[in-house]
Amino acid sequence: MSVSWIKVFIAGMFEILWVIGLKHAHDFWTWTGTVIAIAICFYLLVMAGEDLPVGTVYAVFVGIGTTGTVLSEIIFFNEPFKVIKIFLIFVLLIGIMGLKLVTEDKEHEGANS
Amino acid sequence: MAWTYLVFAGFFEMIGVTMINVLHKKRNVFSLIGLLLGFGMSFLFLSLAMKTLAMGTAYAVWTGIGATGATILGMVFYGEPVEKKRVFFIFLIIAATVGLKIYE
Repeated sequence: MSVSWIKVFIAGMFEILWVIGLKHAHDFWTWTGTVIAIAICFYLLVMAGEDLPVGTVYAVFVGIGTTGTVLSEIIFFNEPFKVIKIFLIFVLLIGIMGLKLVTEDKEHEGANS
Repeated sequence: MAWTYLVFAGFFEMIGVTMINVLHKKRNVFSLIGLLLGFGMSFLFLSLAMKTLAMGTAYAVWTGIGATGATILGMVFYGEPVEKKRVFFIFLIIAATVGLKIYE
């Protein structure tokens, strides 16, 4: 487990924070917090992409972001648990992660350049 | 209108993600500005879409459009192979998105 992977996970946590911010921010401080979360998130992501394959990083990152936003919406914001909706989001997530991981195979030879 | 905003947000995310790759190759101010502008517009439209859409739905569709767009761009402009696997995943994304749209 490298430091770069830890960066990806922390970036994922900040991703969840700013997504919540984009929907729920309502004044100067909450919007400032949202923008800071975006900045930290992308800084960590770009840093992690320096020595990890970008497609894999993005796949893991999006997985954390999607799971996190869906869960926090249900836990903290009283969004009802709808099985069909969660299922569709899950299918969408498989599509995104699959796309990123398949692309990685092709780019792998040049990924460490 | 929320879904139109989402399409715009996804489109700008595509630009942002492309600029991340550019930034990895060419570290200059223009790549950075392109990245900030792309994601800035993307977040703006995502935020507008989430005024009425559920957070999880909006987020998933947003990244889905970005990923699909980037892949199609790669196939059309950078000669990346059109493989069955990729077409299948794109189909999954589109099907799930249409399903979510109908379900909303």
